[in-house]
Amino acid sequence: MHQFESVQVEPASSAAAAKLGRAIVLTSGKGGVGKTTTTANLGTALAARGARVVLIDADVGLRNLDILLGLESRVRYHLLDVLEERVTVDDALVADKHSEHLFLLAAAQAREKDEIETVKMQALVARLRERFDYVLIDSPAGIELGFKNAVAGADEAIVICTPEVAAVRDVDRVVGLLGNRFRPQLIVNRLRPQLVRKGKMLSVDDVNGILRLPLLGVIADEPEIIVTTNRGEPLALRAQTATGAAYHAIAARVAGEDVAAPMPPASKVSLLERLGSVLGGKRR
Amino acid sequence: MSARKIVLTSGKGGVGKTTTTANLGATLAKRGKRVILIDADIGLRNLDLVLGLEKRIVFDLVEVAEGRCHLRQALIKDKRFDSLSILPAAQTREKDAITPEQFAAIVDRAAEAADYVLIDSPAGIETGFRNAVAGASEAIVVTTPEVSAIRDADRVVGKIAAVGKPIRLIVNRLRPEMVRSGDMLSVDDVCSVLSIELLGVVPDDEEVIDTTNRGEPIVLNDANRLRVIYEKIARRLEGELVPFTSFDNQTFFGRLIGALKAG
Repeated sequence: MHQFESVQVEPASSAAAAKLGRAIVLTSGKGGVGKTTTTANLGTALAARGARVVLIDADVGLRNLDILLGLESRVRYHLLDVLEERVTVDDALVADKHSEHLFLLAAAQAREKDEIETVKMQALVARLRERFDYVLIDSPAGIELGFKNAVAGADEAIVICTPEVAAVRDVDRVVGLLGNRFRPQLIVNRLRPQLVRKGKMLSVDDVNGILRLPLLGVIADEPEIIVTTNRGEPLALRAQTATGAAYHAIAARVAGEDVAAPMPPASKVSLLERLGSVLGGKRR
Repeated sequence: MSARKIVLTSGKGGVGKTTTTANLGATLAKRGKRVILIDADIGLRNLDLVLGLEKRIVFDLVEVAEGRCHLRQALIKDKRFDSLSILPAAQTREKDAITPEQFAAIVDRAAEAADYVLIDSPAGIETGFRNAVAGASEAIVVTTPEVSAIRDADRVVGKIAAVGKPIRLIVNRLRPEMVRSGDMLSVDDVCSVLSIELLGVVPDDEEVIDTTNRGEPIVLNDANRLRVIYEKIARRLEGELVPFTSFDNQTFFGRLIGALKAG
C-alpha cells in the first residue's frame, strides 16, 4: 500500500488555468474484462465527436492496443523510446487509420514494466494533456508496477467490470487502491441480458450494489466484439450497431453530456434463442 | 515420490487460468490423485471464490512464507474432495511480499504430500508471474482463440522456454460455430503460431459463468460436456494417449442454426 501511494501525485488539474486535456486511466484489476477493447472504442468514439485523443498502451511487454486498432504494422517507436528520450513523442505517435484526431502511443513489447520511471510517465502524460483533449491510458491487468505507472499520470479513472463475482472483487480492490483522487466511474462490460433474466448472471444492480460507483454505461456481450477485435476495427466505427451506439453514448457521458447511461435492451430474446429453448438445445 | 509441479499461466488476463486450475484440480482429485492448488495472485485472489471456499480462509501464502503458520494450517480442504486442497493468496499484500525462492520452497513442501501441485499464476509477466513460474517444473499455457491472447501467450512461452521448462497448451473458450463462419481462429491456427504440444481444447460454455459465480467447478456437473473434456485433459496429463474431441462434426441443432443464420 505505502508503495502505491508513493507514486501518486497531485492531479495535474491543480494547474487548471491552462486548458489541459483530461487524463483518464482505464483499469480493472482482473484481466480479460475488456480494458483494451474499451480504450480502443471509447477513443474512437471521442475522436468521432471531434475531440483530439491519444491512447497510451501502458501494458509494456504484453501490448495489444495496436492490434485492436489495426495499427500493429505501423508502430515504429514505443513508450519506452519516448520516456528514455531516444525519439520525440511526435516520432512515436501512430496516426489512426480512421480518424485524424486519434493517435496511439504503443507499449514496448520486448521490455519489462519495471523499466518505466514513474516520474517520466507523469511528465509525458502532462505534456500530452497540453496537446490533446483526452489522454486515455490502457492499464495492464493486476495491481503491480505496470498498474501503478498507468495510474501515475492520470487524474481520473474508469473501471471496467464484467458481471462476475471474481471481477467485482478485483474491481473493488482496485477502487480501494485508487483512493479518493480519481473519481472512478464504472463501465459494466459483457453483460448477457438473457443470462441475467434466467438468474445465471449478476445484474448491473448486483454489480453496482457492491461497487457503488457512478455508472457510465453497460456493454452487452456480443460475438461481434471478438470478430472486430481480431480484425482491428473497433465497433465504435459503426455507430449504427447497438454496441457501437453504446460506446458513443458512453463517450457523450464522458464528455459531460447529460445522456442516459446506455443499457442493453431488456428483453431481446431472439427467435434463435426461443427456438433453442423449445428444442432443449443450447445456443452455443 | 514427489508431486508434479505445474504452473498455469497465460500472459493475458481473463482467459480462464483460475477456472482451468479449479476444474483440472477437481478432475485430478476425482481420479484419486492428491492435489494441492496454490493461488499465486497475491492481492487479487480468486481461486478460493471459484471453489466456494472463501469463507474458510484462515491463513494465506504470505503468512506461510513469513513463517507465521505451518503450510498444513493454511491449506483449506475442498468441500467435495478430500484429496483436494488450496493454499489461498494473501488479499491485502503485494506480489513482492514473497520472493521466488520462498515461493519455490513452499511449492516443494506442498509437493511432499501430493501427486499434483497446480499453481494459478496471476496475469501479466511481472513479479507475480515470475514467482509462480519459479516454483514449477512444467507449465500449462492457457489461451483463447483471439489474436491478442495468442500474442501474449507467445511472449510467455518464450519466457518459460528460456528457463527450460516443458510447456503444453490449453485452448480455452473455443466457439466452433464462429470458427466455421471464419470469425474465430481455429485450434490449428493457434497451434501453428505457438507450436507447443496441445493438451486440450475447451469449448466456450455459458454455464461456466454461473458455476464460477456459485463456487462450483463445472466438472462437478455430470451432465455438462466439459466434465468429459477435462477428464481427457487429466488423462493426457498423466501420459495417456487420448484422441481429441472433434468440434467439426455439426450436430443437427448446429446445422439448423447455421441454416437459419444463413437464411
